[in-house]
Amino acid sequence: MSRAVHLDGITKRFPGVVANDEVDLTVERGTVHALLGENGAGKTTLMNVLYGLYQPDEGRVVVDGEARQFDSPRDAIDAGVGMIHQHFMLVDPMTVAENITLGNEPRKLLGLTVDRERADREVRELADRYGFDVDPTAIVEDIGVGVQQRVEILKALYRGADVLILDEPTAVLTPQEVADLFSVFEELTAQGKTIIFITHKLGEAMTAADEITVLRGGENVGVVDADAVTREELAELMVGREVLLDVDRRPADVGEERLRVADLSVEDSRGVRAVDDVSFSVRAGEVFGIAGVDGNGQSELVEAITGLRGVQSGGVALDRTDVTDASRRDRIEAGMAYIPEDRQERGLVMDFDLVSNGLLGSQHSRPYASAGRIDWAQTRDHAESIVEEYDVRPPDADATAADLSGGNQQKFVVGRELARDPSVLVASHPTRGVDVGSMEFIHDRIDALRAAGVGVLLVSSKLDEVTSLSDRLGVMYEGELVDVVDPDAVTEEELGLLMAGERPDDVSRVTPTDGGTDR
Amino acid sequence: MTDLLDGRPSGRLLVAGVAALVFVALGVAALVAPESQVGRLFGIVVSASTLAATLRLSVPIVFAAIGGIFAEKSGVINIGLEGLLIISAFTAVFGADLTGSLWLGYLVAVVASTALAGLFAVVCIEFRADQIIAGLAVWLIALGLAPFGSQVIYGGPNTKSVDTLGTVTVPVLSDVPFFGALFDASPAVYLMFLAVAVGWYTLNRTTFGRWVRAAGENPKALDTAGVDVSRVRYAAVLLSGTFSGMGGASLAFSIGQFTGNGPTMVNGKGFIAIVAYLFGNYNPVGALLSTALFAGLDAVQLRLQTTDLYALPDSLVQTIPFVAVIVVLAFVGKTRLPEAAGEHYESGEE
Repeated sequence: MSRAVHLDGITKRFPGVVANDEVDLTVERGTVHALLGENGAGKTTLMNVLYGLYQPDEGRVVVDGEARQFDSPRDAIDAGVGMIHQHFMLVDPMTVAENITLGNEPRKLLGLTVDRERADREVRELADRYGFDVDPTAIVEDIGVGVQQRVEILKALYRGADVLILDEPTAVLTPQEVADLFSVFEELTAQGKTIIFITHKLGEAMTAADEITVLRGGENVGVVDADAVTREELAELMVGREVLLDVDRRPADVGEERLRVADLSVEDSRGVRAVDDVSFSVRAGEVFGIAGVDGNGQSELVEAITGLRGVQSGGVALDRTDVTDASRRDRIEAGMAYIPEDRQERGLVMDFDLVSNGLLGSQHSRPYASAGRIDWAQTRDHAESIVEEYDVRPPDADATAADLSGGNQQKFVVGRELARDPSVLVASHPTRGVDVGSMEFIHDRIDALRAAGVGVLLVSSKLDEVTSLSDRLGVMYEGELVDVVDPDAVTEEELGLLMAGERPDDVSRVTPTDGGTDR
Repeated sequence: MTDLLDGRPSGRLLVAGVAALVFVALGVAALVAPESQVGRLFGIVVSASTLAATLRLSVPIVFAAIGGIFAEKSGVINIGLEGLLIISAFTAVFGADLTGSLWLGYLVAVVASTALAGLFAVVCIEFRADQIIAGLAVWLIALGLAPFGSQVIYGGPNTKSVDTLGTVTVPVLSDVPFFGALFDASPAVYLMFLAVAVGWYTLNRTTFGRWVRAAGENPKALDTAGVDVSRVRYAAVLLSGTFSGMGGASLAFSIGQFTGNGPTMVNGKGFIAIVAYLFGNYNPVGALLSTALFAGLDAVQLRLQTTDLYALPDSLVQTIPFVAVIVVLAFVGKTRLPEAAGEHYESGEE
């Protein structure tokens, strides 16, 4: 085998930070190589150096055995290096073939007109060669995210890429699409292409890669064979200390009812019933988990509980007070904290600094505001204490939310919501997109809240998260709460069946209202 | 046809359907009672002179609309079309007066309008100014400059008269009832149809057109594909000046004079052009059809003012086309703006 890519002692400094510190990376031709690390470990920076977006301060980039100087992505593309970014670079209203050939269109009629037949044909041939099921004439915005990703891969291949870099390629995919992507990897490497993919998910690196390079704090801390390493070893390499992948919980010490959802039905934005007659209660000191495949009504349920969406029938009670029609503000003041599933859409104002973002939801209340005036000194202290306590990086309350990586944005939102001293926490995908170290931290916080007598409603599509944190676990399917089970007793197979809408007979059920004496 | 008028035309189909229905209803009523008020109204609507007037009124709007499509498709909203029409209407007459040739005047107008569009492009693309404000500035500059130039050169807001473009008559075809007006028209009308065809082809079939659309939808995708986004946007904005220049010159040469009182002879046509291309969903053919709807109503309105058909005040009749625009806009809510329209783009920025 020969080396497709060799990065030799790459150092890249930004003002105040060394993003890459003498990092080596060697990738053999025809293999899949995972670049694993926590958020901010320098993975993307390193790949941007290889792709010509950044120039290294020290070190050499060797592609195909030749030292290269990439001044722009154009140079990298010419040397056969293609990159598929996390956010796709596709023109939505154009066809697949138009996107793939953009900038390199086959032409006819004096070179002015696009030869569309040839473009479609070439794209079809390319897709066939790698066994991709992609229709060149489909409009990009009409096709699924997984297919769009394949269009991005084809775009790189059409430009002659031999080395493909994928930045967090699974972040936007469903589990099935992830499996499809990994078989695409196999097909590509079988035909001599080399793949480097960035990830912070241990399991994916182990499944899909031949070799794994682990980055931590901008340094290469180890290169391991994916078949000969355990999850625990990888996690330790990545985080730099031993990581408890399972939360060690004390038994629940439940108190009175905090949140009750009674016969709740909710319609989604298209007027389709998304939540259908759902009832459950959450008591003080317990975590009620909701599992299910995304899109089975969990979002609408959470929105109805938090007051972001109207209900069709049924009600929501907070500390035995009916809040079905209460405003967001009333619910916050009544002690409901909410970690939204989309932090950028609902959790933060991206152009605001952390001081202002830390105020969101408290802008009416003491001690941050009185008589219509905001106490900025108080607000700043508040934001700084969140930043410090939750280890938000960069540790600068004047940074705008957009300056933070996704994981740090999430930590800040979690910190702000938990600082409300809530009686009920509604957490929707609280660890989405955060690395394993931050995940452990957020799980610890939720556990601490539970111990302090807060009622926690936890919605997540990560099965290990909901099973390890919850005391009772409800499963939603097509808007209905199909069952509520004991997460310690249920098996993964049983959960899978429930999530598919079936009800196996011998599941260890628990009651949705826990005791149900008042029903 | 679906290819020509792409998109999801629900609201547009509705408007077109209602217009067709009204037309048929008028026709039926006219057949039953040709001498009734309705019958006479139908007679006005289907007369060759109404079609001729519709074409004449459409010319500047369609040219400006095609220009606006190029600019906005590339991501630069050019709200200054009105100003480009004004400046070119004036410079056309001035150029023709100076050179003694209408077609040289035409050229002067196109150059002047393209230059003003170029200034707008530099301000918007190079200096990242707000496109709406810069566009309004283009309008206000032209609105002040053209009548001022006329005042200095001709001693009043109206210029002296030059020749008109006259008409080119196609033998035989021009004798066809009603549609004959299509073949007995000003050269500007033929140019307008040519511009629609060229505009559509450029936008939908050429590499340049594809880059324009990509620049307006996802400039980063175009940039990473190795095409200079700024250059594409400059070219598109300059084209909006060129097309508008042809529109303004055609307008001035239809009467052989530039009149600069109040809103000038352009009188909102550049803004109507924006409505036209939005209603036409950024498609030159669609813009032509929606302009024809507006200009047709305007032509009918002009005729109605000279008849005794209804005892309505003229000022009320004059509002018909504008009421139509408001109704049309209410249905047009679904127009899909280019994703990056109005946004600055700089290569290498995250």
